[in-house]
Amino acid sequence: MRTPTDMIELVQPLVPALRRYARALLRDRDDADDLVQDVLERAVARWHLRQGASPRPWLFAILHNLAIDRLRQRGRRGVPLQLDAVPEERLAAPASQEASVEQADILTLISRLPEEHRSVLLLIGVEELSYAEAATVLGVAQGTIMSRLSRARERLRRMAEETGGASLRPSLRIVS
Amino acid sequence: MSETPVTEAELQAHVDGRLPPERSAEVEAWLADHLDEARRLSSYRSQRDALRAALDPVLDEPVPLALDLRIGEAARRRWTGGRPLVAASAAGLLLLGGAGGWTLRDWSAPPSVGTAGLAREAISSFAVYASDSTRPVELAADHQRALDGWFSERLSRPVSAPNLEAAGLHLIGGRLVASEHGPAGLYLYRNAAGESVALYVRPMEVEKTDRMTSRGEKGVRGWTWADDGLGFGVFGSAPDAYLHDTANLVRAQFRKA
Repeated sequence: MRTPTDMIELVQPLVPALRRYARALLRDRDDADDLVQDVLERAVARWHLRQGASPRPWLFAILHNLAIDRLRQRGRRGVPLQLDAVPEERLAAPASQEASVEQADILTLISRLPEEHRSVLLLIGVEELSYAEAATVLGVAQGTIMSRLSRARERLRRMAEETGGASLRPSLRIVS
Repeated sequence: MSETPVTEAELQAHVDGRLPPERSAEVEAWLADHLDEARRLSSYRSQRDALRAALDPVLDEPVPLALDLRIGEAARRRWTGGRPLVAASAAGLLLLGGAGGWTLRDWSAPPSVGTAGLAREAISSFAVYASDSTRPVELAADHQRALDGWFSERLSRPVSAPNLEAAGLHLIGGRLVASEHGPAGLYLYRNAAGESVALYVRPMEVEKTDRMTSRGEKGVRGWTWADDGLGFGVFGSAPDAYLHDTANLVRAQFRKA
C-alpha cells in the first residue's frame, strides 16, 4: 500500500510528539519507537477511516490503546510496570547531571500513578491536547478528564511532598 | 471581585492557561485572596514544567528511519525488515554507511535546526564571549541605542535590550555573531555577584513559535523559546530557577513591545 502524500504531510510532523508520549508511557526508547512504528502502520492502513479535522487525537488514541495493550502484556509476562531500573540514557538525553536527576524524579513519580492519571497529565500538560481531544483519546467524557486531571495533580503533589519534592519546588513564574 | 463562584475545573483550566481572558483575571483576583489555593496551583504548574523538561529532549532526537514516512513504506520495510526495531535500525545505519559515510553522520549529528539548534549556538557564544576578559562585547551598554539599531537592522525586525534589573542584571553590551542561519544578536548581562547571563536572539525560519524549553550542555544552562518568528535563548552558569525567571522577564518584555 502506498502512503498517501496528504498523510505524510499531516502525520510526519507529529512523529516526535508521538515518540515523546510513547516514551513517557513505556519508559524505554526502543519499545516506544517500536510502538510508534505500529501506530504508523495502522494509521497508513486506516487513513481513509479517520474522523475529525485533525489527525492528532486520532493518532494519539491509536498510540494510547496500543501502549495499554503492551503494558498489560508486560504485566502478564512478569515485567514490572514501573521500570525504575531503566538506564537514564534510554529515557532521554539528559541535559546535565543536575537536570537529569530532577527529570528522573518526576518520571519516577508519575510512573507510580495509576495509568489513567498518568495519561491525562501527559496528554494535557505535555502534549497540550485540548480537554475535548484528551476525552476523545481516552474514550471518556470531558467531565471525567477534568476530575482525573484534578485528582492526578493533587496526588502527584502529595507524592512529591512525601519524597522531599526537590524537583517540584515552586518557582517564581512571572509569565504563566 | 467576581460574583460567580470559582470551580475546581476552572482552577485546573487556569493552570493550563485555557480560561477566557476576563475569567482568568477574575480567577487571579480570587487567588489573591486564597493563598493556599494559589500555592496549590503553583505546585501544579511546577509539576507540568518538570514533566516537559524531562520529556522535551525526545523532540530533538533524530527520527529513526523506521518512523520516517517520507522514505516510503517499502523502503522502510526493507531497512527495518521486521522486529525488533533496535537491531533493524542498526542494520539500516550500516546499509546507509555503505552507501556513503556522510549519510551516517547526518543521522547522528546533533540538531542544528529549531530552538535546539539555537541553544547550541547560544551556548557556544556564551562560552566564548562571556569569559573573554579583554573584549566580551563589541558595543558597550552606553551605546545601547546603536547596539539595538545594529541588531534591528541585521535581524530585519525591531530588537532592543530588555531591562532585567528585576533579576539584578545590568546590560554590559552586545555583539553580532554568525550562525549557520545568518546573523544573531548577543546581549550580555551581569549581576552584582559577577555572574554573566547571555541573551541570544535570531530569526527562526521554520519553527516560528516554540514554547519555553530547558537546555544545557557543558555546564552552561538556560532556556529557549520562539515567538512570532524570533527565537530566544537565555544562558548562563547561574542556577536554573534564576535563569528561568530571567527568561520569563525577557519573554514578557518582548511580547509587550
